[in-house]
Amino acid sequence: MLQATVARRRDAFRLDVAVTAAAGATLVVVGESGAGKTTLLRLLAGLDRPDSGRIVVGDRTYFDAAAGVEVPAWERDVGYVAQDYALFPHLTVRENVAFGLRAQGMPRRAAQPRLDAALEGLDLAPFALRRPSELSGGQQQRVALARALVTEPRLLLLDEPLSALDLGTRQAVRGELRALLARLVCATVLVTHHPLDAMVFGDAIAVIEHGTLTQVGVRDELLRHPRSPYVAALLGVNLLRGTVLRREAGVAQVRTADGALVVADPGVEGEVFVTVNPQEITLSLEPPAGSAQNVFRGAVIEVVPEPPAGDRVRVVLGTRPPLVAEVTSHAVAALGLRPGSEIYASFKATGVKAYQ
Amino acid sequence: MRGRSLGALAWRIFVLAAVGGWLAFLGLPLVSLLVRVPPRELWARLLAPASLAALRLSFVTSVLATFAVIVLGLPAAYVLATKRFPGKRVLEALVELPMVLPPTVAGVGLLLAFGRAGLAGRALGALGLSIPFTTLAVVLAQVFVASPFFVSAATAGLRAVDARYADAAATLRATPGYTFRRVLLPLALPSVVAGAAMSWARALGEFGATIMFAGNLPGKTQTLPLAVYIGLQTDLQSAVALSVILLILSFTILLGLRFAHRLPRTPWVPRVAGDGR
Repeated sequence: MLQATVARRRDAFRLDVAVTAAAGATLVVVGESGAGKTTLLRLLAGLDRPDSGRIVVGDRTYFDAAAGVEVPAWERDVGYVAQDYALFPHLTVRENVAFGLRAQGMPRRAAQPRLDAALEGLDLAPFALRRPSELSGGQQQRVALARALVTEPRLLLLDEPLSALDLGTRQAVRGELRALLARLVCATVLVTHHPLDAMVFGDAIAVIEHGTLTQVGVRDELLRHPRSPYVAALLGVNLLRGTVLRREAGVAQVRTADGALVVADPGVEGEVFVTVNPQEITLSLEPPAGSAQNVFRGAVIEVVPEPPAGDRVRVVLGTRPPLVAEVTSHAVAALGLRPGSEIYASFKATGVKAYQ
Repeated sequence: MRGRSLGALAWRIFVLAAVGGWLAFLGLPLVSLLVRVPPRELWARLLAPASLAALRLSFVTSVLATFAVIVLGLPAAYVLATKRFPGKRVLEALVELPMVLPPTVAGVGLLLAFGRAGLAGRALGALGLSIPFTTLAVVLAQVFVASPFFVSAATAGLRAVDARYADAAATLRATPGYTFRRVLLPLALPSVVAGAAMSWARALGEFGATIMFAGNLPGKTQTLPLAVYIGLQTDLQSAVALSVILLILSFTILLGLRFAHRLPRTPWVPRVAGDGR
């Protein structure tokens, strides 16, 4: 169980966050690079000192500015896997994994069983005598995990665990890591800039922007109700802010800064968030004849293929309000879409969600 | 175009001539030493008792001095490489000072410090100890002039070790001392060894501070360079023979350092500083 409130200012950058993670659960902190993710992990690990705040793991207080408590990094039960793993290049895999046990003064012989278990547990036994430079990226990551976990930390910190891997391995390792995290009894904090990783790993997800947490919640909560344009962009949905004008017959009119929308009745009045799933948006060259209540005309700004699926394409539209649609590559070809094409974007009121 | 290629040609000729002249200037004295005494004669001179005594003394004192430099210099290098504190630049300059200070000045300083009336000398005198003009004085003079070569190289080597390794060690329960022994030192080892070798070479060649502080007592304080100096006035052949030995030793150390980094035992030697992060 981790409970931490930390603040640290360096030059113009200020980090000020409160995070909690239950034992056995994973908190994913997701945000752009430079948002303060690595700084947060370094503060929790004890590699940097917060200006103020408190860090408690289980029944131990590692840092408490008010009480003058500061436990050095090497006395904290915290495992830390850096972005590029930082495996000791002069030691073999086995010596790397043994490092934490030996550093605590455990004799070689006594460390043996735990060492073997750690190597076995991450399928590293065949590589035990190799040096890190002789391993693939995925194997290096497993060594870093084994090295951090062999000391049985109460808090595990993972900094962008997949970013050092090439695309091919990333998919496989993502699955392995997810299974491993599910087995762990310690609390885990994982930071990533990748929304998909956040969705895959996070029991709880915290969104960090410019050093502060802008939204914290469970995965489904975030998916359903993003509260900032950043989170929406992260999840790939259109997010608008507006005011409910009229509610009747199961639908409502919402006025945004860039025009009005017809949405399914949110059941509330006043200021609301409105999300439009990009897949709900239909593109056409002529005004649509169907029952869609929301029709906008505008130019295509950009056509972006979605990398993993291949078949899906995101179309950024210069409509008012600005929208992003997701269509098949077949549709892009059929409509002859390219930047500058004039187009109609339409979607039904039921494809829009409004909430407070 | 014509003018440009003429200019380029002139530049090449100038560079070749300058480098050639410089090499000739460096090489001529060395070659002169080597051809002066025939090999058989050289061997006989070296095995003469006086030469052997100087050789033995130089070897023993320079090795002792190098060990002392390592023991005293490693903590200093660690502090300079990893800590930040006010006055650090002053300390850095101080550490390197013996590199440029005339050795005779160092000798006078040592004499004033450890002489009978000196600051440390008086305290030692009270204990019945006198350092000047002893073999210990030879070692102290060598430590004084040789230490910067080691401390500079070791500091640079320790500083070049990526901080993320020390960070990783700290999160793996390693105290700073354990991290130094098991991570920093092994990773900086090539630089540390190079620094020690340079230090040894410098101690071996030490003359000025030694003659001021330790005198020129055969078998006790007369090291190889001092024997060369004396020999020049009494027995030129012996002086040349000892000079050749010093020349070969120094050149071997420098050449060895240039090949050492290719040793297969050190695959982790950082080839470039930083890793593009």
